[in-house]
Amino acid sequence: MITTEFEPTPAQDGYQVKLQIFEGPLDLLLFLIKKKKINIHNIPIAVITREYLEYLSHKESINLDREAEFLLMAALLIYIKSQMLLPREQPIEPDVDPRKELVDRIVDYQKIKAACSVLREKEDEMSQIWKRTALTAPFPEEDLDLIEVSLFDLAESFFTLMKRKQSESQRIIKGKEISMAEKTNEIVVVLKERGFLDFLEYLDAQETLEEALIAFFCLLELIKARLVVAIQEQLFHTIKVWLRKDA
Amino acid sequence: MMENLREIIEALIFISVEPLTTAKMKEVLTDVPEPDIEQAVRELVTRYESSNGAIRIIQTAGGYVFSTRPVYDPYVRRLLQIERKKKLSVQALETLSAVAYHQPVTQAEISAIRGVDSTYSLHTLLENKLIKIVGRKEAPGRPLVYRTTEKFLTYFGLNSIEDLPSEEELKKLMEEENT
Repeated sequence: MITTEFEPTPAQDGYQVKLQIFEGPLDLLLFLIKKKKINIHNIPIAVITREYLEYLSHKESINLDREAEFLLMAALLIYIKSQMLLPREQPIEPDVDPRKELVDRIVDYQKIKAACSVLREKEDEMSQIWKRTALTAPFPEEDLDLIEVSLFDLAESFFTLMKRKQSESQRIIKGKEISMAEKTNEIVVVLKERGFLDFLEYLDAQETLEEALIAFFCLLELIKARLVVAIQEQLFHTIKVWLRKDA
Repeated sequence: MMENLREIIEALIFISVEPLTTAKMKEVLTDVPEPDIEQAVRELVTRYESSNGAIRIIQTAGGYVFSTRPVYDPYVRRLLQIERKKKLSVQALETLSAVAYHQPVTQAEISAIRGVDSTYSLHTLLENKLIKIVGRKEAPGRPLVYRTTEKFLTYFGLNSIEDLPSEEELKKLMEEENT
């Protein structure tokens, strides 16, 4: 994209076009044609070439890729002009008009621009409409950009939680003892009911530090046995544990 | 006609994740004649359209789906904590309409139409699933060939590719702009 301050010679036009954004050489040509109120099927190549080159010389920012595209068009314009200057015995026929190919391209491009404005309107309309399906996400879709988390990620989030819990848990009187088998069962039941659980939230909800520790080991065992999978939707997002579909 | 045919169809559309096509309705309602289904759908759509409720049924990508009316957009966004829906960039939109009108089409063809290298825009559109690769062209280098997707239709609320403005409509638009 080219952003520039385009100032046609003030004496001629008496106005300035500031910060005009052109998508490419065809966009610029189309703009010049409209500005000069030129009949697209009879373009005065000399006039348009002069305007075009003037724009190029006013351009401040230089993007090498884009520059090449703009220069290519300038070369084409000059080539067409030279073709038209060649002496001919007969007047130019429309079929062999050296401008024809360029005109066709501009007309085609103009159509695309018109379609763009229609589509943009539709996009605006649609952006205010919400389909009933906007909220549903029962299981992460296969094409979602999911990251399966490593043991280190799990351990790291667990240890931050442990530190926090340690300071809180001093007043807790030791309660019932719970075995790994019981905890594993509990986790599987929750997963079967809800489909997934939030890794940190679940551990945080455990009554004692000891229980959280057991829950953590159970989760690790389940992951190792490939019964559940720990997934992050995006880097730094919360870690979610899902029951494997095939489990 | 079945007494509660409209309500049955209403239920089917309500639970569908994808826009529900009449073909799918026919699969469920095997013993109901096709014209009856179509009429019931039309009546259902009109009923929602003429009510003052927040919900209506829109036709998109060949199927029917429940949607909210535009007035309620700000509230829905607040619930979903979405500030603004992302819009396509000018380059992406230009590339997309070039694909839509010239499909099946290659990268080189699109770049020629726009006069600008379109590799990057095509890549963005592919990522957003608005276009897809449908094969290779039997030409030097066997370049990839692109087409618009069903998501393209739903994104712009089009029912089919024929819903795009025709050549004549575009010409009219261009003339309006020129005058």
